[in-house]
Amino acid sequence: MLAKALTALLTVVAGIGAALLLYWVLNWISERLPDNWEHRIKPYLFILPAFLGITVYILYPAILTVINSFKDNFSRNWVGLTNYRTLFDSTYFRGTLFNTLLWILIVPAACVIMGLTVAVLADRLSPRGEKAAKTVIFLPMAVSLVGAATVWRFIYDSEPKGSTQIGLLNALLSIFHKGPVAWLDTSTYHLNSLLLMVILLWIQVGFSMVLLSAAVKGVPVDTLEAARIDGASERQIFALVVIPQIRGTIITVFITVTITVMKIFDIVYVTTGGNFNTDVLGNQFWTQISTFFNYGAASAIVVIFMIAVIPIMWYQVRHFRSEEAA
Amino acid sequence: MRSLAYRTALLGAALLAGAGLTLTACGSGSGSGSSNSTTVTIWSSVDPPVKAGLEKKLVSELKAMGSKINIQWSTVTNINQLIITKIQAGGTPDIAYIPQPGVVAQMESLGAIKPLNSAVDMSSLEQNMVPGMLQAGTINGKLYGLLGSANVKGLVWYNKPAWTKAGWQIPTSIPALESLMSKMKAKGSATAPWCMGINSTGSQGWPATDWFETLTMKDYGATAYNEWVTHKIKFVSPQIEHVGAQFAQLLFPNGNAYGGRSAIASTGFDVAGNGLFTTPTPKCWMYMQGSFITGFFPTSVQSSLDKSVGVFGFPPATAGGQNPVEGGGDMLTMLNDSANVQTVVKLLSQPQIGDDAAPTSSFISPFKNFDMSLYPNDTTRTVANIMYKGDTFLFDGSDAMPAQVGAGSFWTQMTAWVANQESLNAALTNIDQSWPTSGS
Repeated sequence: MLAKALTALLTVVAGIGAALLLYWVLNWISERLPDNWEHRIKPYLFILPAFLGITVYILYPAILTVINSFKDNFSRNWVGLTNYRTLFDSTYFRGTLFNTLLWILIVPAACVIMGLTVAVLADRLSPRGEKAAKTVIFLPMAVSLVGAATVWRFIYDSEPKGSTQIGLLNALLSIFHKGPVAWLDTSTYHLNSLLLMVILLWIQVGFSMVLLSAAVKGVPVDTLEAARIDGASERQIFALVVIPQIRGTIITVFITVTITVMKIFDIVYVTTGGNFNTDVLGNQFWTQISTFFNYGAASAIVVIFMIAVIPIMWYQVRHFRSEEAA
Repeated sequence: MRSLAYRTALLGAALLAGAGLTLTACGSGSGSGSSNSTTVTIWSSVDPPVKAGLEKKLVSELKAMGSKINIQWSTVTNINQLIITKIQAGGTPDIAYIPQPGVVAQMESLGAIKPLNSAVDMSSLEQNMVPGMLQAGTINGKLYGLLGSANVKGLVWYNKPAWTKAGWQIPTSIPALESLMSKMKAKGSATAPWCMGINSTGSQGWPATDWFETLTMKDYGATAYNEWVTHKIKFVSPQIEHVGAQFAQLLFPNGNAYGGRSAIASTGFDVAGNGLFTTPTPKCWMYMQGSFITGFFPTSVQSSLDKSVGVFGFPPATAGGQNPVEGGGDMLTMLNDSANVQTVVKLLSQPQIGDDAAPTSSFISPFKNFDMSLYPNDTTRTVANIMYKGDTFLFDGSDAMPAQVGAGSFWTQMTAWVANQESLNAALTNIDQSWPTSGS
């Protein structure tokens, strides 16, 4: 234990020392240069270590992933587009893509609408009531996805007919002598996928509510008053005065939740494991790499991911720039 | 200007130091290979009590030999994934216990394991192991995986007092089992013939594949079974279609399995068997599951196992006909073949290695000449005997198939079929299509 602590301390001292030395050397080099060159080169020299870090830890793995997606299961031989072809040929994977799309289409929109509704309605409560309501809705944010999925599994649980139903929903049904319904096994109209989305909404609405609530409160009162004096109804004020002024926050929330949803894995893994037509890209990636040891197919899924994320990134950067310009 | 430059430099230094720490943290984790030649490292995912028993015996045998070999035996989680990752990244142990022949085959294809033939006494193994055990770890005529501890599948568990009271007889053939089931149903609807559940977090569906495997080997014998596992017999074939129909006929009709077909998909394999022990009337008479299921039974049952629980092997297709037994277990593989590692492998391949593990854990020895009196109870003796008396030991087929099938489509398609989301034919067709074309 003492040896370990000493090693750690030594590492910190040596690490900081080496880094200081490195920057001192870089600074020294740039100071040897003629004055006008010194100012031109110095920023690049100082950014170099960080740039190298990004290259080694992000760029290199990304490029390797693209390369591996064209290789076989253990990245030994080139196989061309086989990984992609196999994935898109399988009905299972097409179902997985469709489910992921459903998540992306439904969850961010639902999250923003619900968060905004709560934010606007809570705004009209007494300060104490507002605090209480918001706290309750924000609380699930503190629960991990795995924890939430485990809890919700009990809510959706289904025991054989004739046994005591320990799942909340089926227990309610049994009061009316109905059911049991195997909620998570029922993929009619993607019911089970929708039920899984509820879990993520339960967690995420708090986040969306907090940001949107702050934005709603930030809307200048005089604009609202001006609208009221001009005879606008409350609905018109909300749609035409409040919404345009909090548009930036709505987009930020929407994009953040979209990215969370694209990476969704934990909820599906814990509840259905992707069975009963609920699989999503994140879980399929995990299955390919950890269960099937198919690094090729797993890399191909990541590449599909990266391509799918590009439009969102592009939009986000554009949005960010326009905000800065404004 | 200068002070700003210095502040930036300090910030950069702190960042870099952080990166340096991460690097060293990674570095210290990977050095798990043997540091010197007298240390032999072993990895396994077996139950900690089993590991403790085996390790104790191994160390005392080494001491008795006067050997200086130092054993470092680590319990790792999910060894299948870990070992494949480590083979590619470096830092493998000298010996690893692998629970799936499919993974052993992949390790061999990566050139990571050495044949055991020269390290072990082959003739004594052939004599003392149940036929089929060695074949499960043999690739191109060489032994790469040696079963070190076994579990038995295709076991039918029942509530002993209730069963005796009802006067049921252990069936000796599948037709006898069917007639027993109709007698059970005629007795009253409160107790169904079977309990069944295939749910399991992260691996939904595997209990259904065990049923398929057991039925296939009982109906068609070892040769056909092995051809099916290697895909020489397809899933869409008269044999496997018949097995599917038989599975459906045994379990799906109303009243055959507790809760009916829809409950099978949503009930956990771990709790399904508890229906045997409900009072006053059991929910079912029989539950088919592997030898490890006793650990999931209610504690009151576990504390009086021999009195509460009876067990028999799933019957052969015809009375007295061919009767292979399905099982699984952890296979010893050798990743280094230095003299010291070979010495350890030799000790691990002898029946007496289980002497300390058997009395205190769920350990079942794969050796027929193992001292049966060491097992902790009659239930374990009965189970071990079912395996020793079987005419062939056939390794769990889904564990031997390529992972895309054995841990993928076979599980998911069985789940979809049992949940009544697709037809048997669609499920079998999908499994065939998912079979990897280039050997993996």
